[in-house]
Amino acid sequence: MRMFLLLLQDEVTKTRAFVFKNWIMTKRNVFTLFEILFWPLVAFLSVGFLTEFAALQPAMKAFILVGVIAMSAVQVCQLDVAYALLYDVWSKAVKHGFAAPVGIRHLLFGSLIVGIIRGGSVFVILMVASYLLFGFDFTLPGTLPMGLFVLGLFLSAAMVGVFVCILVLVFGNRAEVAAWSLVSLMLLLCGVYYPVSVLPAWVRVLAEIIPLTYFLEYFRQFYGFQPIFSHVLVKGYVMVIIYLVIEVFAMKAALLRAKRTGLLLKLSE
Amino acid sequence: MTLSVPEGVFWGLLGPNGAGKTTLLSILSNLLIPEEGEVRVLGKDLRKNAMEICNRINVSSGHANFLWSLNVRENLEYYAMLYGLPGKKRQQRVDDLLDLFDLREFAKVRFDELSTGTKQKLSLAKSLVNDPALLLLDEPTVGLDPDVARRIREAIQHLHRDKGTTILMTTHNMKEAESLCEQIAFIKDGMIKALGKPQDLKRELRLGDTIFISFSGSLSSRSLKELQGIYGLQTSDSSCRILVDDHHQRLPQILDFFIGEKIFIHDLRVQESDLEDVFIAFTR
Repeated sequence: MRMFLLLLQDEVTKTRAFVFKNWIMTKRNVFTLFEILFWPLVAFLSVGFLTEFAALQPAMKAFILVGVIAMSAVQVCQLDVAYALLYDVWSKAVKHGFAAPVGIRHLLFGSLIVGIIRGGSVFVILMVASYLLFGFDFTLPGTLPMGLFVLGLFLSAAMVGVFVCILVLVFGNRAEVAAWSLVSLMLLLCGVYYPVSVLPAWVRVLAEIIPLTYFLEYFRQFYGFQPIFSHVLVKGYVMVIIYLVIEVFAMKAALLRAKRTGLLLKLSE
Repeated sequence: MTLSVPEGVFWGLLGPNGAGKTTLLSILSNLLIPEEGEVRVLGKDLRKNAMEICNRINVSSGHANFLWSLNVRENLEYYAMLYGLPGKKRQQRVDDLLDLFDLREFAKVRFDELSTGTKQKLSLAKSLVNDPALLLLDEPTVGLDPDVARRIREAIQHLHRDKGTTILMTTHNMKEAESLCEQIAFIKDGMIKALGKPQDLKRELRLGDTIFISFSGSLSSRSLKELQGIYGLQTSDSSCRILVDDHHQRLPQILDFFIGEKIFIHDLRVQESDLEDVFIAFTR
């Protein structure tokens, strides 16, 4: 029992290290404040006023605002997971972190906690703003559907963030651009502003392999939009969990490769 | 390369740029995986026991970089957490390290605002957060002013003496290696060219010490050369340069020789060979 508690304490402490790092870096850097206040609000207000100008029906307005709010939360949350590695890359301190006895799980959970706090803040801010400015009630589907939707969003964000880390470990710091561009690609594919049914057939295949597509479909059904796919919530969760498990192994492999090629040391120079 | 470092010894790795010193330390600290060969650290296979070994070793490098937005205390806390140090134990350890390296006054200064010397102290402090059984130091005093470098050397020396930590250090500073290291390995092109105590290496290379003498009188070079322990001799009308294996041992007999030959000595100087000479001999 004592051994188990010591192991648990060790796991918690190492996970906390990544919470500690990301939290302080967030507090001390202006750009991270912009990430949770400026950019999401600008994007949200632009789209919100567009829906007003276009005099969209409430259901259509809901369709678009759900997409914008979800996307903003995912973007901020995934950045935090990617930052767990990128902060070290930018500080040229990668080797110190990886010389320590930590695993990918510590990095993932620790950074995801900060990501959830930051992404959750964006979610709440935009949810309140959408109610006050555009009369859109995000809580309409109820607590459980909203909770399941938000959890799906954060798991999707973790998936993207880990993917960015893998790319950085394989291609070096030139891959950091993926931290901002991958989400934009999802914006195009997952049906954020439009249903995936409008996509050309070959693009729709890509949309079908992204879990976020299903989480958006799931939540929008409470606003009167019938999902194109069946069992959207189950598909979304199964897919995102499988991807995350694969990514953890892929990141381990990428880390080993970076140690073999010397890239890990180059990232510290 | 085959290198076996006994527990509790202070080892120096010397060699020219690109010799493979930093590469070796990177392999030992599990940051670089060699294409072939076996690496055993603290008696265990590094590949199979990486986590366990990483928990018991640590590394500090010259020109160290840490998270720029975190201050000194936060950086130490962060790395202490990565090594699994819980709450109060972590605070105590961080406090001890701040005191040990005179970092208390910089505790709240961000890393990007620190001087090079203070960054280096932080790097050393960080390398001790887990109280390592094996400490890898990669040019710990590079780029530091002599005073800070001296203090860092003292701190390293205390650490080795008081705690018996096994230390493997790379350096280009021969005086530093000579004063700190009990054993030296010279590396070139990824190979160990020589291994041993600094004194033994000098003897092995027959570098010896040089005795300069100015005199008046007639000196018989041949007789002087026949004395024991003389490696070489250069003479002119009023001075000579004698290369001996050990000046402590040979100076009395040389003085006896000069007295016996009734040669008057005006001036005498001794120049001991140092590791720099060994370094130059090996890297030539």
